[in-house]
Amino acid sequence: MTPTLRGRARSKTSKTSPTSPTSSASPKAVARRVAGHVARGLAMIWVVATISFVIIREIPGDPVKGQYESLIQKGMSPEQAERATAVLYGFLPTGSLWEQYTGYINSLLHLDLGRSLSTPGVEVTTLIGSAARWTVLPVLAGTLLSFLLGVIMGVYAAIKRSGRLGDVLALSGSLLHGVPVYVIGLLLTAIFATLWPIMPSGGPVDVEHVPGLNPGYLGSLAHHAVLPVVTYTLASYGGWILAMKSNVVAVLGDDFILAAELRGLKRGIVFRYIARNAILPLFTVLALSIGMLFGGSIFIEQIFNYPGLGLLLVGSISSRDYALMGGTFLVITIGIVVANIVADLLYTAIDPRVRSGGAA
Amino acid sequence: MKRLAAIVALAATLATATACGTTGTTGTTGNTGAAQTAGGGVFTTIDGSKQINASAPINPFNPVGSVFAGYNGMALAWPKNDPVDPNQFYPGLASSWTTTPDQSEVVIHLQPDARWSDGKPVTSEDVRVSIGLAYTQGGTAYALDPRAAGAAADIHVVDAKTLKITQGANRSGMFLSNLLSTVVVPAHVFGRLLPADFWHTLKVAQDGEGPAAEQAKAEITGLAEKVIAFGPAHDVSAGPFVLERVNPGAALLKRNPYFYNSKAIAPDKVKVLNYTGNEQIWNYLISGRLDNAPFTSVPTAVMERIRGAGGSKVIKGYSPVATSMAFNQAHKPYDNVHVRRALAYLIDRAQVTKIASPEGGTPAVTTSGIHAKAARAWLDGGFDTLERYRVDAAKADAELRAAGMTKRDGRWALPDGKPWQVQIHVPASFSDWVAAAKSISSQLGDHGIDATVVTAADYTLYLGELADGKYDVAFWLIGLGPSPYNIFQRLYGQANGWQMFGGRLSHVAPGTQGNWMGGPETVDAGADGRVNPGELTSRLSYATPEERKRVVGVLARLTNEQLPVIQLWDYVNTQFVNTSRYTAFPPDDHDALRLSSGVWMQLGMIKKRQA
Repeated sequence: MTPTLRGRARSKTSKTSPTSPTSSASPKAVARRVAGHVARGLAMIWVVATISFVIIREIPGDPVKGQYESLIQKGMSPEQAERATAVLYGFLPTGSLWEQYTGYINSLLHLDLGRSLSTPGVEVTTLIGSAARWTVLPVLAGTLLSFLLGVIMGVYAAIKRSGRLGDVLALSGSLLHGVPVYVIGLLLTAIFATLWPIMPSGGPVDVEHVPGLNPGYLGSLAHHAVLPVVTYTLASYGGWILAMKSNVVAVLGDDFILAAELRGLKRGIVFRYIARNAILPLFTVLALSIGMLFGGSIFIEQIFNYPGLGLLLVGSISSRDYALMGGTFLVITIGIVVANIVADLLYTAIDPRVRSGGAA
Repeated sequence: MKRLAAIVALAATLATATACGTTGTTGTTGNTGAAQTAGGGVFTTIDGSKQINASAPINPFNPVGSVFAGYNGMALAWPKNDPVDPNQFYPGLASSWTTTPDQSEVVIHLQPDARWSDGKPVTSEDVRVSIGLAYTQGGTAYALDPRAAGAAADIHVVDAKTLKITQGANRSGMFLSNLLSTVVVPAHVFGRLLPADFWHTLKVAQDGEGPAAEQAKAEITGLAEKVIAFGPAHDVSAGPFVLERVNPGAALLKRNPYFYNSKAIAPDKVKVLNYTGNEQIWNYLISGRLDNAPFTSVPTAVMERIRGAGGSKVIKGYSPVATSMAFNQAHKPYDNVHVRRALAYLIDRAQVTKIASPEGGTPAVTTSGIHAKAARAWLDGGFDTLERYRVDAAKADAELRAAGMTKRDGRWALPDGKPWQVQIHVPASFSDWVAAAKSISSQLGDHGIDATVVTAADYTLYLGELADGKYDVAFWLIGLGPSPYNIFQRLYGQANGWQMFGGRLSHVAPGTQGNWMGGPETVDAGADGRVNPGELTSRLSYATPEERKRVVGVLARLTNEQLPVIQLWDYVNTQFVNTSRYTAFPPDDHDALRLSSGVWMQLGMIKKRQA
């Protein structure tokens, strides 16, 4: 989810001067455009659902046998393990692959993702809903924070690129962009949860606090979110700052900026012109990043015991929980497809030249 | 605009706080901030048997349910860590029990003062309903097939605190053990899951014949999914604790004032922390947060830091399990016993154990299929007569030559002259097994045998490929004691071709129906004659104690000679405790060590440290 738009961003980038002509499309054209997006999105979801269905069913391994042996490994007696797993056979899909597929699609049309095997008897939608809230909090906050920080610092890094501040900012971006997220996470845990234990080392909230709008619970929620959010922010920040710096540098050389300066416009106004034009392509990536957040961040969730969608997906794969795997893939797919549509529409809204049919 | 943004932000915060709620269970009402505790404090631990799943119901029949054995989950009794006798138990909800010598009849007396957390008494009807629910899940003492060994035939309520349970005609020495392991749930909460005519349907399923019996069986097994999906709104526990709330990071249990031995319980609350990886447990232990944690693989450097934490202590005791390297005897050259013996003579088990499991294992004294402590008890002096397979390169060479192998340019080759490549398979997620396999491959390499380690992406894939017969050599957990049947079932059971269908034992061909060990159906056992190891193993489930001892001796000697596996190390039950807040943990080698700290508390252990 770290933005990697150097190059890609520029392909869509064309400068918007403050005096660019704007032409609004008719409501009919907008509706047609949205309908086209939705139709393509639905088709994509169907294709991905079908492919993932087939792949999931082809993954080798007997889920019940796997669960039985896992319980044995955890110290259960064979009798206890058999008692705990015998009933799981009732949760395995039956019938031919085609029958399973038609059943799956039919259930999807009724918004039924089936029941989990690894949490037997519980609806997949319940599990995904439960995990999603723990993903959205750190990943969304981390994405937005890193975007904000990266964009602001990127502008400064570009403007001060020949000074020490510019160098330091660019270097920080390059360094953090190159460090894997799990290294950052482990480092922060080692420092702030073990060596200097001012932060909790795991879990989303202290279970001793009664859930609700009380300071203790909210404080604990925030306290536990600090390290995951900071990890995510640091891991994503590098991409944003480098992309923003590169965009700003490109915009700085444009004629309309020179013209604005020559006309004697205030520095703040010129700065706004620069930022507005340079940030455009980043919005697309931001929208896609937000779409990707449903994929969670497996490493962050693993390190901080934050039971989000990433961990749910990994767990479903290792336990061969077909319904949960399919459901999680589907949610991630829908997130990305919707984000793509939103990004496209957003770009139309914020860039007048795209709205006018790409004439610019 | 700014005002709007502020309102949106506030709404988002409120929504997040509400959305990130927790499953409350015991009707906790509106106090704010941290839960208040009295003098007993909060005991913090980890449940090694499962990860916490806040979406799972408070139901012991659900494999991931929010029921923690010994805390808010109660069985009739708790198994002792006896090396040879699986029928040794500590009292749980059953205060005592008697059985006939052949275990055909068991009488269970419930704790006279046992009550549920809502104040209602625990009665025989609760146990009867729990057994009824267990029938829907199948297996062990509650198999619907009357021909299944060790199936209960009749459950008779003698009085409010006494039950008599009889075993079916096909007897098993594990009947008492399976019976006492029954988890008990409140009939007034779970009873509604059983239809009114359930016991009649059960009778038809067990005693009837033809379509009526099949229909009855289908009706009962059809209830299984409903039973495991059932989620009571609140926890009703007969254990020392009752679930207060659970979130994905932890479960909080508070003291059950109605517990029959409440005065023995020191903590006011128990916090069971979730974990997604061993490193979290390490961090908890290093920071001294855990009062007790089950053993996890720990690198030596981390172990030192854990030991350095204030109050940190390690308790060690017997664990009946062992790690082995198993052969697929359907694959050449592992069908040749000389090859297997040669490898046994080449592997330095002490070195392997030191590298792979220095804290959690002791090098296997020999290969018998049984943990050394249990083997000594079963075999008496016979244990010392077993071949030890001490590292001996000369003996290994002789065995390899006897197998027709040849050595060229310092490398061993197969009898047909082709290079010999030993591939050792392990699941990638088992770091101790991977380390052991690497050590073995290095040792074999030093002796001119090309060996490589191949890891499977996950354990389920590993087991699948293993069952499909894709591996020549693979790691395998053995010695699942104390039941001798379970111990040898691991070597001469389904993995080696023996299957039980409708009470009849049969042997299937290697590479089919999960037979990946590919051993022969009958083997020449020297002085014991030609034996069928699977048949002998099966006999262990119902043999008399004398017969059982004789059969264990035959199978141990056979395993020692034939080496279907090479036993590498015997596990050591290693528990981490911290005595900063609580004391009186069980000492080393205590026979309650494999039970949860909730059971330790029930047994009068674990006291609050006095200031």
